[in-house]
Amino acid sequence: MKIDVKGRFTFPGGTHPPESKDLTRESKIQPGPAAGQVAVMLSQHTGAVCRALVRKGNMVQAGQKIGDTDAFVSAPVHSPINGKVKEIALQSHAVLGRSPAIIIEAYAHNPTRRPRSTEFAADFDESSFSSEQICEAVRQAGIVGMGGAGFPTRVKIEPNPRLPKETMIINGCECEPYITCDYRIMLEWTSQIIAGIKLARKACGCSQVFIGIEDNKPQAIEVMNAALEKSSNSDDIRVVPVKTKYPQGGERQLIKAILKKDVPTGGIPPMIGVLVLNVATVAAIAKAVVYDSPLTHRVVTVTGEAIANPGNYYVAIGTQVSELIEFCGGVTQKSAKVVLGGPMMGIAIADLKTPITKTTGAVTVLTKEQIGKAKFARRQTACIRCGRCLEVCPEHLNPTKIAHAVKNNLLDVAESYYISGCMECGCCSYVCPANIELTGYIRTGKIFLAKQKKKMPE
Amino acid sequence: MLTDLRVSCAPHISKPLSTRSVMIDVIIGLVPAMAAAGYYFRIYALILIPICCLSAVATEWLCNKIRKKPDSLGDFSAVVTGIILALSVPPSLPIWAAIIGSVFSIAIGKMVFGGLGSNIFNPAMVGRAFLTACFGMLMTTWTVPATIAPTMPRIAADNTIHARTQATPLAWSKQAIKDKTGAKVVNEQFEAAFTGEIGGCLGETSTLALLIGSLYLLIRRNINWRIPFAVLASAFVCGAIGYLTNDAAYISPLTHLTSGGILLCAFFIATDPVTAPLTRKGMWIFGIGVGTITMLIRIVGEYPEGVMYAVLLMNAVTPLIDRLCKRIPAGGKPSA
Repeated sequence: MKIDVKGRFTFPGGTHPPESKDLTRESKIQPGPAAGQVAVMLSQHTGAVCRALVRKGNMVQAGQKIGDTDAFVSAPVHSPINGKVKEIALQSHAVLGRSPAIIIEAYAHNPTRRPRSTEFAADFDESSFSSEQICEAVRQAGIVGMGGAGFPTRVKIEPNPRLPKETMIINGCECEPYITCDYRIMLEWTSQIIAGIKLARKACGCSQVFIGIEDNKPQAIEVMNAALEKSSNSDDIRVVPVKTKYPQGGERQLIKAILKKDVPTGGIPPMIGVLVLNVATVAAIAKAVVYDSPLTHRVVTVTGEAIANPGNYYVAIGTQVSELIEFCGGVTQKSAKVVLGGPMMGIAIADLKTPITKTTGAVTVLTKEQIGKAKFARRQTACIRCGRCLEVCPEHLNPTKIAHAVKNNLLDVAESYYISGCMECGCCSYVCPANIELTGYIRTGKIFLAKQKKKMPE
Repeated sequence: MLTDLRVSCAPHISKPLSTRSVMIDVIIGLVPAMAAAGYYFRIYALILIPICCLSAVATEWLCNKIRKKPDSLGDFSAVVTGIILALSVPPSLPIWAAIIGSVFSIAIGKMVFGGLGSNIFNPAMVGRAFLTACFGMLMTTWTVPATIAPTMPRIAADNTIHARTQATPLAWSKQAIKDKTGAKVVNEQFEAAFTGEIGGCLGETSTLALLIGSLYLLIRRNINWRIPFAVLASAFVCGAIGYLTNDAAYISPLTHLTSGGILLCAFFIATDPVTAPLTRKGMWIFGIGVGTITMLIRIVGEYPEGVMYAVLLMNAVTPLIDRLCKRIPAGGKPSA
């Protein structure tokens, strides 16, 4: 059967940054560095921060739960290695600034964790697991959304009688430039992903499943289709090629492209009966449920023009960025910016001791030249109201009005232009001819608003 | 090796696009019109266009110096203003008048508001309005193209080489409206108006050249198609209404579109991003406003041409249009 891989589905707005995925597209997932020391963040997700379950000097084993909380919206953390707790201290966190982490020194003998893909039968049968069993295993394994937001997966897949879910969308778009970890997972861990999809489907009770993949990954689309054909009980799972356009991988944009529905502004997908999971997350679900194995490693794309050996690595969560860069042969050219994530939404870090977390899909090292080319190195000029930011905004907002309202400290005006609807994809900053960092202003405005609305302690 | 790390807000890459490249694209879009002006009006164009550009640029430089602001000539917006002003004045305009117009355009039309991006009115149209108010006679004297003289009736039977003047199609159509006859003669000028071999402002006569330039801007997505489409479509509808009621008194809508400044306006003046609305809905309202007011002035009003006033009037209400046509987020208004 000839498979149509041309994506016809898309969303209004968006832009086309250079893909730059060739650096690591063909690089197989390899084992990452044998970490001598890891720093496991106690907060790697949206929700309550974990409480440490171990103390300084305790021995821990790979896979042992070392942090947990009773809060509903949270996920426990586990040690990726055998070792000894060196201390519990503050570490640089990409988003939270300084945040507590459990620092574990490895024993001399620590087996390298190899990514295995043959553990799952092509024709996986999920009937031996109950919905509750799956949800509990996902919770215990500490699985969170691995696409970036890090929302605890258990909360997402658990059936909620108030917001029943009918459709599950598996996000394999990977629209960020440079990153290829999800693409490699789809190619190499195909049966694991399918097993994960079946388990998640059973847990949430969705009656239809779509796998959205951008059409710049024809191989992934073919491989997934072929695997689905071989698999039984998968008639309701469909691969949907979507148009290659940034930010197609945003969940609201993916829902719009596939289902032609809009998630309410400020709302969440379950409000329209949809659940979106990343391919890496469903792969982790399969492992957690079937092998009882917690989320302690993830695939990270180490990339950028300045890295000596760019590639996709199966890295222990808690590994320092500097160690990972070192492992990839260090940097070759004058590097100027280390970004956790891709260049459109990633976070530039100043401290290379920052550990990899569950949501870090990539480490992108950009060269000085690239930074110089990026217009933000140059002077911002006045807005000429050309309207390009309005044309590309996938959320149909008015970025220039919001940004200028924030600039002039008019937060009420920013709100009247629906600042909360912004998901900070960066399209407006990317296209702006006047070099205005619209996304930055909008993000600042959101922080100000959050501070303003914070209730005073009584 | 990994020292001196930079941190900044995402995104970390950007599209190679700048205000300068946007303005250069507009200048490229104006090249065919300038070339047509050079071909039909020869020495007039060769003098007027550089003079207007130079005085516009010099004025901006001087204003920045006086205001102690950083130099802003690099964005080339003053050049664009200069070219558009030059293309929208009669070829025979004296040099001193052109300089006054350019200085007024930049100084009062743009810099007093705070420079590019802050001006309410299109600077070139402000300058032209000033010239029209001060030197009405000079601004309505139309030179015959240097190539062959078309069959339009002359205003004055002046046979000296440099000062042959003639009525523009629109002036003649105004006469036709008063006489209730004679519109057909104007309609016959369609071909001349299409190539540009006819009396009129320096850059507005050649429909063909303007269309080529605007096609470039549309392909480069430098201008939004909605504004020109709305201007031309609404002007066509208004013209058609007049034509259908009395085709002896009112010229055909196509002749309306090819004569006068409506094409230059639709593609190069009304689309000035600074003074046009941001939202799509706003663009439609703005474009229809410009087209309709232009035609009302041409058909009902006292002047033969109304593009300049239409643009200035709609510029004035642009902030209101923007306020009325707010964008609704993709997910609807947040329920809060």
